[in-house]
Amino acid sequence: MTNNRFAKMMTGYTGKALISLLVVILLGIIFNADGAFFKLGTHRDALRQLSVYGILACGMTLVIVTGGIDLSVGSILAVSSVCFSLFSIHYDMAPALAIILCILIGTALGSVSGTLVAGLKLQPFIATLAMMTFARGFAKYITGGQKISTYLTDADGNVIIKELPQIFQFIDSRIFGGNLTIVSVIFLFCFLIAWVLLARHKWGRELIAIGGNEESARLSGIPVVLSKFAAYAFSGAMCAIAGICQAAQETQGDPEAGASYELTAIAMVVIGGTSLAGGRGGMGLTFLGILIIGYLEKILSINAVPESGRLMITGFIIILAVLMQRKAD
Amino acid sequence: MKKTLITLILASLAVGLFANGGAEAASTSEEGSQFVIGMSQCNLGEPWRVQMNADVKREADKHPELKVVFKDAQNDTLKQRSHVEEFVAMGVDLMIISPKEAQPLTAPVKACMDAGIPVIVLDRDLVDDVYTQFIGANNVKIGTAAGQWVAEKLNGQNAKIVELMGLQTSTPGQDRHNGFMEGLEGSDVEVIFRADVEWLEPNARAEMESALARYDNISLVYGHNDPASHGAYLAAKAMDRQDDIMFIGIDALPHEGVAYVQDGILDATFQYPTGGDVAVQQALKLLNGESIEKRIVLGSRRFDTENVTSGGEAIN
Repeated sequence: MTNNRFAKMMTGYTGKALISLLVVILLGIIFNADGAFFKLGTHRDALRQLSVYGILACGMTLVIVTGGIDLSVGSILAVSSVCFSLFSIHYDMAPALAIILCILIGTALGSVSGTLVAGLKLQPFIATLAMMTFARGFAKYITGGQKISTYLTDADGNVIIKELPQIFQFIDSRIFGGNLTIVSVIFLFCFLIAWVLLARHKWGRELIAIGGNEESARLSGIPVVLSKFAAYAFSGAMCAIAGICQAAQETQGDPEAGASYELTAIAMVVIGGTSLAGGRGGMGLTFLGILIIGYLEKILSINAVPESGRLMITGFIIILAVLMQRKAD
Repeated sequence: MKKTLITLILASLAVGLFANGGAEAASTSEEGSQFVIGMSQCNLGEPWRVQMNADVKREADKHPELKVVFKDAQNDTLKQRSHVEEFVAMGVDLMIISPKEAQPLTAPVKACMDAGIPVIVLDRDLVDDVYTQFIGANNVKIGTAAGQWVAEKLNGQNAKIVELMGLQTSTPGQDRHNGFMEGLEGSDVEVIFRADVEWLEPNARAEMESALARYDNISLVYGHNDPASHGAYLAAKAMDRQDDIMFIGIDALPHEGVAYVQDGILDATFQYPTGGDVAVQQALKLLNGESIEKRIVLGSRRFDTENVTSGGEAIN
């Protein structure tokens, strides 16, 4: 039975995504940049680098399985990143309070998208495009277009250097003898939550059912409006967490942070094998998608491939991975 | 009908809310102003350009007879073109423009001049000199100064360095690279790792991690802007290698690069001046009937650990 299930998994979407990942890893082994690919630090850093995108992709997966899309993730990340910096650095707020407030703000912004999509029946693309624009403006508004850093200017124009809050240093630190970054732990934690919700919870099954056929989901008694709304709110919360990680790693809140991150997050979800049309997908697939894109970036980076080449290779690999997924149908 | 009305009311409220705030920020002094200057900024999304506007405002605030109206084209050439046309329609006394692109904005600026409004062009030049004055800094020279400083510090040690470049399809990115290489000439300093980080700090950090993974011996990181060097510093710090490496950057914004040097993060930063204050001074001269030069090349300053508290040192 278990064997049968394993075989089925390997010939299905998971297997295809695994093959893509193996191809990428193989590229790394061939182009190992004088052995840099075999160093433990390289993998730790790859995992750090993909963590923020990965957290966004967790929320994105839950939205995409309903047949929706969330374009606002990068902008909400920026709002959270500047709010977290503002609360922690300028207002000296307690870390727990700052984190909770940021997650509430992210959830609130996500809830607005959710209300527009689920309640007012706007197309997800339009509703979240509007939110993407609004939230970017909001981030710029609260900061006056400047980065929120530990350098403050007093009334006379002198620069005062404030100490970086402990919480920033903690989030950007490492555990297990320096082999795992805290942001990666946060990513894995977010992934676990999203996985439990999607694969083991009633809500997850409802989301997939809605993505498959919204009308029949409604007729079978699924609270369509509430479930969809919650998916966008959850995505907003994930953006807030990603924003906190971004701020800690940059040691500042940048209102321009996260621009175009939504495209990376969507690519990660789709490469894994979750269908943009909704109704099919899972967090395991997204995890593989995250690793594929994350490792590809790292391998291109350690080989110092010029920007032009990187863009072309990345485009090529995305198409290859998606074509591979199509064969699984 | 009802829907239209509600939409209209809500939209008016939203616009009103921000229009007031905007107007307040736009005018520097309402009463008794004699001259109105239109300031067309191409993109306030960049901290350096925010600083440029701040420099314009600070200088203008010293002169109660000046009123400055700011417009931000949000990195959109056509939007900036409309802003120029709006200033002409408003009949401002003078326009300062920091254009996004040369080709498409040359004609609108010429039309402005033809309407009898003098124009001061800041930072990026136009195709023809259809303006009253151009004020800008020289990225090649600043890059060269950075290169010479590095050569002076590291020559003879067979030093290996990392270059984290600004967008290589942009002129400043190319100039800061070419100038730097020129400055290094004749020394044995070698660039072993080079990446286009597109001016972005998170990219710089990721690229630096790769460089650190690949090379055990890195003497210095040259970032094309200060955020790039800062990102590189954070990557090195995470591996506890920040003390073996020097970090230098360009731009030297007061609460960015200069503060990084003060804070001991960067070893040096080379100022890329905005010229906002100079533009206002020149505008005032012109409006008071004096003649001004066609071109002004702004000088740069180096801020390093020794001179940062005394305001840096001018470089030729």
